[in-house]
Amino acid sequence: MRHWTEGFEDDDADEPLVRPYTITGGRTAPERDDLTLITLVSAIPGGSADTGTGLRRMQPEHRAILALCERPLAVAEVSSALNLPVSVTKILIGDLIEAGRVRARPPLAFAQAGGIPDMTILEAVRDGLRKL
Amino acid sequence: MGYASSDHGDAPLAVKILIAGGFGVGKTTLVGAVSEVAPLRTEEYLTHASVGVDDLEGVGGKSTTTVALDFGRITIHRGLVLYLFGTPGQERFWFMWNDLVNGALGAVVLVDTRRLDVSFASIDFFESRGIPFVVGVNCFHGVRDRAPEEIRKALDLDPQVPLVLCDARDRAAGRDVLLALIDHLMAVRSRTTRHPVA
Repeated sequence: MRHWTEGFEDDDADEPLVRPYTITGGRTAPERDDLTLITLVSAIPGGSADTGTGLRRMQPEHRAILALCERPLAVAEVSSALNLPVSVTKILIGDLIEAGRVRARPPLAFAQAGGIPDMTILEAVRDGLRKL
Repeated sequence: MGYASSDHGDAPLAVKILIAGGFGVGKTTLVGAVSEVAPLRTEEYLTHASVGVDDLEGVGGKSTTTVALDFGRITIHRGLVLYLFGTPGQERFWFMWNDLVNGALGAVVLVDTRRLDVSFASIDFFESRGIPFVVGVNCFHGVRDRAPEEIRKALDLDPQVPLVLCDARDRAAGRDVLLALIDHLMAVRSRTTRHPVA
């Protein structure tokens, strides 16, 4: 009889060393759907990255996110820094939000509502670009 | 300022602009020219769920295919960050555009005069969604062989949509394309404010 691990190597030939969804404990969908590519994530100061308060099992990736987000970073930036797909990154960030370790600031939804952004924002972007 | 919020600690507000156009028109080049960091790359899985009712042909049917997104960042000031996202060029990834479009200020559609047709679909997309955009004619090969009016006609562009010539490799030129979009958004905004749509 074949052992259950036989053939695993072949299956994994084109996969990263650790399948990304292993990190999420097999979850493939985030519990929250409010995280977008440019939702800004920042670590809530005070919690030490070593204590897993509120998180039953803190993965190294959770710790990495906490370290990265000492400065606010977009979900896409976190995903890029961890070299993990966006969907996996969202699940991990969701865990940290749930545990009260990070806060997320959603972007304003303009295109969604078919609207045009506030003039104040447009002026700020224009002035910022002119300084480039 | 009006848009600063104390509910989110000192996190800035994020906005984004999409850089669209067909394959090989210089989207990542433009992102890289104006971004304060080297263009970043992130990946997303293509799954049955995310593909939805779209044609699965070429996607492989398994959740192993990924689509890459290149993006950059410009810190406007302490409270405001602008992200630039290159849209995936291949048409089969367009279902992703809905996610990309959410929260976008508007878009830049890059065109290459030698291959105008590869950007037709991007223009159609933004026109049909009513998302404001400008067209950037990438003259990176140093050839300005076609007059702007001719390009405009070939693209069947709405007269109100600005068209600017640029070199996507050049920081100042890239900045000017983005500024053209902001000016356009301001113009659209003042028009809609004067004549509010019921």
